[in-house]
Amino acid sequence: MSPLLQAWSAYVRLTVRWPSIASIVPFVPVAAVWWMVTELELFPRVFLPGPVEVVRSFGSLVYKGILPEYLQDSMVRLAVGAFWGIALGIPLGILVGTSQRAHTALWPLLLFFQAIGDIAWLPILVIWFGYGLITMTFVIVYTVIFPVVLNTVLGVRSIPITMHRAALSLGASRARILWEVVLPGALPNIVTGLRNGLGYGWRALIAAEIIVGTSGIGFLMFDARRAGSVVEILLGMIILGILWYIVDSWILAPIERATGQRWGLVTR
Amino acid sequence: MRLRQQLSSAFTFSAPFAVLLVLWALLVPYFNVNPRLFPDLGSVMQAGIEGFQDGSLIGHIGASLLRVAVGTVLALVVAIPLGVAMGVSPVVSSFLTPLFRFFSVLAGIAWIPIATLWFGYGFGAITFIIFNAVFFIVTYNTLLGVSTIPRQVRDAAASLGAGRWAMLTEVLLPGALPNIVTGIRTGLGFAWRGLIAAEMIATNVGLGYMLFVARDFYRTEVIVLGMIVIGVLWLLLDRLLLAPLERATIERWGMVQRA
Repeated sequence: MSPLLQAWSAYVRLTVRWPSIASIVPFVPVAAVWWMVTELELFPRVFLPGPVEVVRSFGSLVYKGILPEYLQDSMVRLAVGAFWGIALGIPLGILVGTSQRAHTALWPLLLFFQAIGDIAWLPILVIWFGYGLITMTFVIVYTVIFPVVLNTVLGVRSIPITMHRAALSLGASRARILWEVVLPGALPNIVTGLRNGLGYGWRALIAAEIIVGTSGIGFLMFDARRAGSVVEILLGMIILGILWYIVDSWILAPIERATGQRWGLVTR
Repeated sequence: MRLRQQLSSAFTFSAPFAVLLVLWALLVPYFNVNPRLFPDLGSVMQAGIEGFQDGSLIGHIGASLLRVAVGTVLALVVAIPLGVAMGVSPVVSSFLTPLFRFFSVLAGIAWIPIATLWFGYGFGAITFIIFNAVFFIVTYNTLLGVSTIPRQVRDAAASLGAGRWAMLTEVLLPGALPNIVTGIRTGLGFAWRGLIAAEMIATNVGLGYMLFVARDFYRTEVIVLGMIVIGVLWLLLDRLLLAPLERATIERWGMVQRA
């Protein structure tokens, strides 16, 4: 028992020094079990290829240049969608959050259109815009925008009224209240909304690429499915997972934490 | 008095929809929109009535809801015990957290291609997708919930002589419940979207299928009807079932975590 315990404590010390190790090492036994299952041929190879094949197909797809191009396509679509989602979502959220009239008029509609969900729009979008970039951008913007708007509204409305009054009595103009009270006060919520929205948008992108796609990681998977090549499907899933893991825990989560620490106190 | 208040809030909630419907009813005939691009209100209502009368709409709705129910229940039955079991030990939970985060990222849609290959087109594949969407997120949240129960609470229960069973039912489960319920709500959100996407690809009955087939024939009135049904169903599910559940558990047990 004691060598095992020693190994564990060494591992813990290692993860304290380099926390990123803790998010990689747990995958080693999973890969090992996967490799063993495929080596023992518990399932037919056609249905469950091993890690070696997946790595090999990764190599060949990178070498052919297909994978980098598809990856780039997916990321560009996500970035464009995220940009428009933010650019439209935050102003709309602030409008709905600050004006009572806009709130009564738009809030129920927002809830309903959020409930329809991105993917249900695909068939009619295909009729309107055909198979292409506009359809996909529309779907992603649609998905990103709702969590951003709803959370912005929540954030704006959770700013204590005393803050407004304090700023007003100190002679702040409307623009300054917007810029120095409303926006910073709502920022933690906005960032949370953005993180949720991108999480949904990411999935919507995959669905859109599967259904209407001509390129991208989702298309890679669906194309492989048509050809019956499980290796490339698995590869696609792994890439999706890793990519989102990186975007979420290295970019979005730190931003969320930072805004929470810097401005989060305002709402309390 | 209370009834009047409820009536007036129901009115303010539904007024924007009424405006939207009136606009729809007026603008589409006014601009003479091609029905292959966007339907007018009357034809959508007619499609709805026809769907009810010949039972096809009920059939699609029933098929979709059944899939969600089966997949979700199966996932919860496995996920909650597993999450609690793993969350009890800090060593196990800290080791497994990244794994479950990784898999909850894949939740839902990314499983569609491989699910259809493994299970063929049909009930099995779609249930598998929903199972996955709910399972990983709920397990992850349960794990998180159990492992964030303050050490003192568990120590206090143990020193008062709580056995394993009492510990489970009176400390661990209630303490993790707010997280579990949040996980269910998020998971179902992904599952619902995954369901629609999967039905477009992998089946011959269900709401997603109804939409996708209608697209082949440019029957926009069926598409719009389907979108409205999907929206209403999710709104009902979320507002009448999930949101009250979440609110109730957080009010009842949410304090445990802040101790």
